[in-house]
Amino acid sequence: MGSASYVTRHSTQMFEEGRSFSGNERFKLFFGVGDAVFEDHSALGGADSNLDGRAILAVDFDDDGDEDLFIHNIQRERHLLFENLLGGRGNGFLKLRLRATAGQYEAIGATVTVKAGGRSVAQVLSRGAGFASCQAPELVFGLGAAESATVSVAWPGGFREDFGEVRAGARLLLVEGVGKPEPFAARTRSLPDPLPEGLAVRVGERVPVLRLVDGDGVETEVDVRALADGRPILVNLWGRFCAPCIAELPTLARIHADGERRVLLLGTDAPSGRAAAANVLAKRAPGIPAYYLRAGGEGLEPLVDLVRLPIPTTLVLDAEGVVREIIRGPVEPE
Amino acid sequence: MPRSSRNAVLALALLAPAFACGSGAGGSDAGAPELEPSVLPDAISISDPADPIRDIELVEDLTEEVADRLLDLGVELQRRDFVKAREWFAPDFAGTVVDPLVSTREAALHLGANLTAFDVGSGAIAGRLGFLESFERLLGPYARVELALWKVKGAEFERDGRSGKIHLYLHVIADTDAGGREDLAGWAWAGVEKRKGNWFLVRFALESLERTRLERRAFRDISAAAGVGHLGIRYGKPGNTSDAWNGAAAGDVDGDGLFDIFVPSGGRNLLYRARADGRFDEEAEARGVAGPGGGTGTVFFDFDNDGDQDLFVAHRAWRVGDKWKGETLHLYANDGQGHFTDVTAAVGLDVHRYGMSVTAFDYDLDGFVDLFVTGYGRAATEHNDAWLEATNGAPNSLFRNLGGERFEDVAGELGMAGTKWTYASAAADYDADGDLDLYVVNDYGSNELWRNEGDGTFKEVAEQLGVVDQGQGMGAAWGDLDGDGRLDLYVANMSSTAGNRILERLRESLPAGDFERLKKFAAGNSIFLASPEGGFRRQERAAGGVGANWAWSVALNDFDLDACLDVFCVNGFVTGDLAHDT
Repeated sequence: MGSASYVTRHSTQMFEEGRSFSGNERFKLFFGVGDAVFEDHSALGGADSNLDGRAILAVDFDDDGDEDLFIHNIQRERHLLFENLLGGRGNGFLKLRLRATAGQYEAIGATVTVKAGGRSVAQVLSRGAGFASCQAPELVFGLGAAESATVSVAWPGGFREDFGEVRAGARLLLVEGVGKPEPFAARTRSLPDPLPEGLAVRVGERVPVLRLVDGDGVETEVDVRALADGRPILVNLWGRFCAPCIAELPTLARIHADGERRVLLLGTDAPSGRAAAANVLAKRAPGIPAYYLRAGGEGLEPLVDLVRLPIPTTLVLDAEGVVREIIRGPVEPE
Repeated sequence: MPRSSRNAVLALALLAPAFACGSGAGGSDAGAPELEPSVLPDAISISDPADPIRDIELVEDLTEEVADRLLDLGVELQRRDFVKAREWFAPDFAGTVVDPLVSTREAALHLGANLTAFDVGSGAIAGRLGFLESFERLLGPYARVELALWKVKGAEFERDGRSGKIHLYLHVIADTDAGGREDLAGWAWAGVEKRKGNWFLVRFALESLERTRLERRAFRDISAAAGVGHLGIRYGKPGNTSDAWNGAAAGDVDGDGLFDIFVPSGGRNLLYRARADGRFDEEAEARGVAGPGGGTGTVFFDFDNDGDQDLFVAHRAWRVGDKWKGETLHLYANDGQGHFTDVTAAVGLDVHRYGMSVTAFDYDLDGFVDLFVTGYGRAATEHNDAWLEATNGAPNSLFRNLGGERFEDVAGELGMAGTKWTYASAAADYDADGDLDLYVVNDYGSNELWRNEGDGTFKEVAEQLGVVDQGQGMGAAWGDLDGDGRLDLYVANMSSTAGNRILERLRESLPAGDFERLKKFAAGNSIFLASPEGGFRRQERAAGGVGANWAWSVALNDFDLDACLDVFCVNGFVTGDLAHDT
């Protein structure tokens, strides 16, 4: 086909240049609502990313009864682990592992059917499906509000077996020919809390010297400890476009004026928005030290990832510049 | 930038695209007065071009210019730089505002989410400052705006190439202060004009706008905290340019009851071993599976039935003259403690394939697990020989496990060594006859359903059962999606904005049958529901669950535990640094 070399050459060139090709697509999460009808929760669910995914592992990594998601991307943040937060919100689960006795013991390809609360669901124990993805050797079934369910297995080889009624929340090993499930021990573990979204420092870490520009556009080093002057200091990340940020400025101004603590405002507005930002500050928070990003959005990297940072965010630092608290959202008036 | 041939236009409509590398972005309408038009129209009218450009390459060039320009506008709006954003609007711009609008419908959605639909006719008409103020009202209250997309889905231009009418998809994703999430999606028509060498919005008419909101997220990203936040280089830079699309496998390598993760990767592989404290340690080197890197599909399974999880990794290999380049397949035997030894040659798997996905299953029920390895094609040296039914890929392989000691490729003798461009496969006993069948997913062609005949052979029955799903197949999974106890089939396919747009332009010039078949190639995913009679029927698109862009892997799980299977699908071909896309 005459276009082959053109396509290949052109694709290579465009990717070198940093262009996208069907890029910035976001992972899709469709919740089944019955009868193979689905509701799109992709953007709301929190397991979306604009990276280029290839493989998916849907596995209950923390053994809390719901399946988490591990994603393999082709570049950048290559691996994403999304913890499922939907367990524990009222719906029961059933976790099943299989052991065949007539055929190969792993029972790959067995079909398990669970009936609960008037609903029925069948799943296959697969090892290698989707695209280049191999799931873990167990199946998780949701039971909705039902307190119990019935379980049956169609084993490779053709033997069909009922395992009777089981309670919600059970972890069960189903052995071919036994007809009665055997509980297996939970290995529940807590997955770690995410790092603070958009922040490059954690509680307990010292805020480094930042290189920013002041209200006149002059580039300068900002040493938070010097500004604190022996007192605690609140470092507030804000933007003129951000209504909650503007709403909390008077509260910050009062804190600064009280004198027991200092306040430093770090503006995330682009240069074209700074004149308007300065007007806002003059009216709502006069006298508070305020700085902005350098050209190109630089200068705050040791502190925050601006792309991911929700604002307003306020870091509460002690007099030594060590983060003692992170306030997401507006600072509460005192 | 060479101009593409008509063949290439068709080709690119389906796959690779970008007719113009010329940047339509940048610059500013310097000197434009900061004024609203003195008289705003009573209604926004955006007429079709009176004498439109028909040449498909020319119109696509212009479309890409405008599309790139508006993707850049989306970046400024995501940053909420509403001053900078003025540079995209002509001084005489007039459009319907996006806020405030009267809501026309509220609906409760799954998991406590709710939907609000707006009456787009209730918005005032404003000049560019008023219009951008309405965007500021819309986006300002959010804690974070993750996306503010302006995507061109269709465009027509006047003959002189200086004005046009475009169809836009608008999409905003944002976090609320309370930790919730909002999704705003809408469609709009816009009039654009090229002035001083750059494209400007002159008219804007909102066509629809809906907002969905969820107060509590279903998932949270813990990648870095859990120790799996591995950073890779951007695709397209040296070191990350190949089509070795790495897969992933989950299994308990050391028998501690926790599931570990193996990821083939360029350079070297990664094995994330789960720790009791919820984190993972990367131990590929210490456990003997670090190399060679560059693998594709991978599975954990017990090839010798000794009670532990062994590891198979597919690789890509291709001939240059009489020599092989790339890697052979690889099999690593587990010692029972989670340490692996490379036994590839000992079991006869030191063979060359252009492997992508792997499915492990005991097809002949002899008590040993066999391996199906899909064969794709090396596009860098030889592209697909057809778009509708390509046959010059690498062969598929079915490695029969001979007693846990050797593997023998029997695909040829079973008639399954086809040379379509096969990306994926999935096994299940769809017909409940006690043996495992295999669905095989092909790019640039028809898929196959290999029914296991129970005597060690397979029969291809995809057409007979209605699951051919000709298109650009990427992945597949079996699961009971409608809750009737029968296994349904989900097929992940490619779907592309450019492909759909260009095909629409070709509608008139293509034979009717060809258009419909080509359209299917850019149409997205498919759901096939098993019927009581034994065949499958395609689920209507209106039932949802299939619009997933350029999809790759898919997982069918009950994430919310409500006794209905859900669909999770990853997607995207390549995301570059630039907003510009094709």
